[in-house]
Amino acid sequence: MGSNSLTLAPAPRSAAAEEVRAEVREFLAAELAAGTFTTHVDTWLSGVDPAFSCKLGERGWLGMTWPKRYGGHERTAMERYAVTEELLAAGAPVAAHWIADRQSGPNLLRYGTEAQRTEILPRIAAGECYFVIGMSEPDSGSDLASIRTRATRNGDGDWVVNGAKVWTSNAHTSHYAITLVRTSPADPANRHAGLSQLLVDLSLPGITVNPIRILDGGHHFNEVVFDDVVVPGEMLLGEEGAGWHQVTAELAFERSGPERFLSTYPLIAEFARRAADPAQLAALGRISARLLALRQLSLRIAGALDRGELPDIPAALVKDVGTTFEADVIDEVRRAVDVPASLDSPDPLGRALAEAQLHAPGYTLRGGTNEILRGIVARGLGLR
Amino acid sequence: MSDVDLVVETVRDILTKHEPFVLSTERPWDAGLWSALAEAGLTGVGLPEEAGGSGGELADAVAIVGALAAGAAAVPVAEQLLVAAPAVLAADLDLPAPEEPLSFAVAGAVTAEPRDDGDGPGSWMLTGTATDVAWAGVAQHLAVLATSPVGPVLALVHVAGRQATHAANLAGEPRGSLVLQGVTAPGALLTEAQAEQLRARYALARAVQLSAALQQVLAWTVHHAGEREQFGRPLGKFQAIQMELAEMAGEVTAVAALVDAAVQAVERGESLVLACAAAKVRAGAAVEVVARLAHQVHGAIGFTQEHRLHHLTRRCWSWRDEAGTETAWAAVLGAGLLADGPDALWPALTRVV
Repeated sequence: MGSNSLTLAPAPRSAAAEEVRAEVREFLAAELAAGTFTTHVDTWLSGVDPAFSCKLGERGWLGMTWPKRYGGHERTAMERYAVTEELLAAGAPVAAHWIADRQSGPNLLRYGTEAQRTEILPRIAAGECYFVIGMSEPDSGSDLASIRTRATRNGDGDWVVNGAKVWTSNAHTSHYAITLVRTSPADPANRHAGLSQLLVDLSLPGITVNPIRILDGGHHFNEVVFDDVVVPGEMLLGEEGAGWHQVTAELAFERSGPERFLSTYPLIAEFARRAADPAQLAALGRISARLLALRQLSLRIAGALDRGELPDIPAALVKDVGTTFEADVIDEVRRAVDVPASLDSPDPLGRALAEAQLHAPGYTLRGGTNEILRGIVARGLGLR
Repeated sequence: MSDVDLVVETVRDILTKHEPFVLSTERPWDAGLWSALAEAGLTGVGLPEEAGGSGGELADAVAIVGALAAGAAAVPVAEQLLVAAPAVLAADLDLPAPEEPLSFAVAGAVTAEPRDDGDGPGSWMLTGTATDVAWAGVAQHLAVLATSPVGPVLALVHVAGRQATHAANLAGEPRGSLVLQGVTAPGALLTEAQAEQLRARYALARAVQLSAALQQVLAWTVHHAGEREQFGRPLGKFQAIQMELAEMAGEVTAVAALVDAAVQAVERGESLVLACAAAKVRAGAAVEVVARLAHQVHGAIGFTQEHRLHHLTRRCWSWRDEAGTETAWAAVLGAGLLADGPDALWPALTRVV
């Protein structure tokens, strides 16, 4: 069987990671005490706070693994893992920079030109420059290869882009979209050919950002419409026609991090304040055992990234198991306590339950639905 | 090839000559397999040579236990290598010869009275019945975690020839009771913490077995899905089946990652109880999903005694309850994580493994 492709070596212990973990913990305790933020569920989607992102940049906690000449800090993926995990556990407002630091920066580092890297990476590392993911479209969700946004070269060698991207989280507060576009006509024989990634400045003329409210009224999603947008020729990211390959590499970063199982951690923390009788302690124990296993899986991926691997199949597996867990936490807590979920609850546990529930449909959709992920895992098992 | 791989290779080699069979009161264990393992020195791995063992590390012993669990081997190797023998050595008692099966029992209903000063290794008089004893009637020696007026006691009882009641787990593995009335045995007083660690190691031993068995169940199921054809194509080509196999793989991979990490925590000698508790809870929880879907994908043939699947699924259904149920260990884990107060939950979680 092909299960070897699902399994990664155990992550090495990292003293450096534990050191930076302690620093982040101290920083977060001070920020919480000073009231600069309050803990919420799912803040890597909804907690936009540019001032907070800049503080993290000042501390050297963004662009951690990148070369110093691009504003990075040349630290390990294990250290970055510890930092991101601490921020998520505290429910800190990290949404502004999250995508840029997690996947856009690494993507630029891998495929960007020297000019693109020098211009943009230091600003991401400083916490000043934010990115959105320009993949999904109104008619292309799980079937990403069917996208229709087109880019054609004009006489000046620039790209003229037409089309629309959706579910672009926080496009209204971001600066760039790495946009997957069709640069040659669709070839039914090779659906993955003819796609390219463009680095699109969201302030260009012809771009309209329309809010799409999620079911609780929150504004994170947008539709980004491109109407004859002229993108300078040098803003092609990587190779023309290699968009599919580049997107796949990006997804290894997108799918494997601790945000794929810690979105509802603040609810667990609130439940812990209530857990007293044996049944509640057992519920906390069951939740914790699942979380601990996910941590090990995610740490193994961080270790693999440090070895220069791009473990896309294990990443899909972690995201499937992790996001299923995020939603299960709500059910497990509900069965253990007698607290109605309400955003207006006087009880912080009631509020945490409400926040977690209202965001729950997104956990197992964003970044690739769990059905798509299981298809990838099935490929790892040799079934496809 | 690493040492661990070599050991596993040797075990698998031996297993090819010893197919799993349906256990019964007449044939409650695989004595022939045990002899082969003992002859190869595999029943003393991880135990120091000066104590009569074969040497090697905990990782080697874990690998042997895993390979045997995946092979549905009816031998008390997990109890001997991972629990009883290390406990006997830690308590400074004389280790029985590794070819004589040694099992372990948590026996709260057995009381021990010191026959001398009761401080450190000494002689104890045991009274009571040890219930749910793994390999009762098969094991020649039993490390018994008993209670005494001065604290928990680990006693080493020679039980060869002693009558055990007929009771078995869901896979037919002997789990009978042994009456220990007025039995004199060498033993040692443990601290409460040591006793808890010993129970946790027992739980980890079952988690190691579960992890290996679940991996094998997944492999069998993937194999079956590739071989069995319906509607003109292999089952594994159907998306509905692929979703189920992927879900199984997620569970199996998560269990393996946590069990491996818990074994490493034990090797480092740190935070043992919570790590073992978490591993046992996670492994037990995975049985629900993996065994259910394995049988679903195998269809009716997997529900028969003739097919091999039950050798592992029945064991998994029992192992998850043994050495402390998920509920019991989940409560230990939950309470342990809150030991420094609810606000310290996150730091506690990052310390467990």
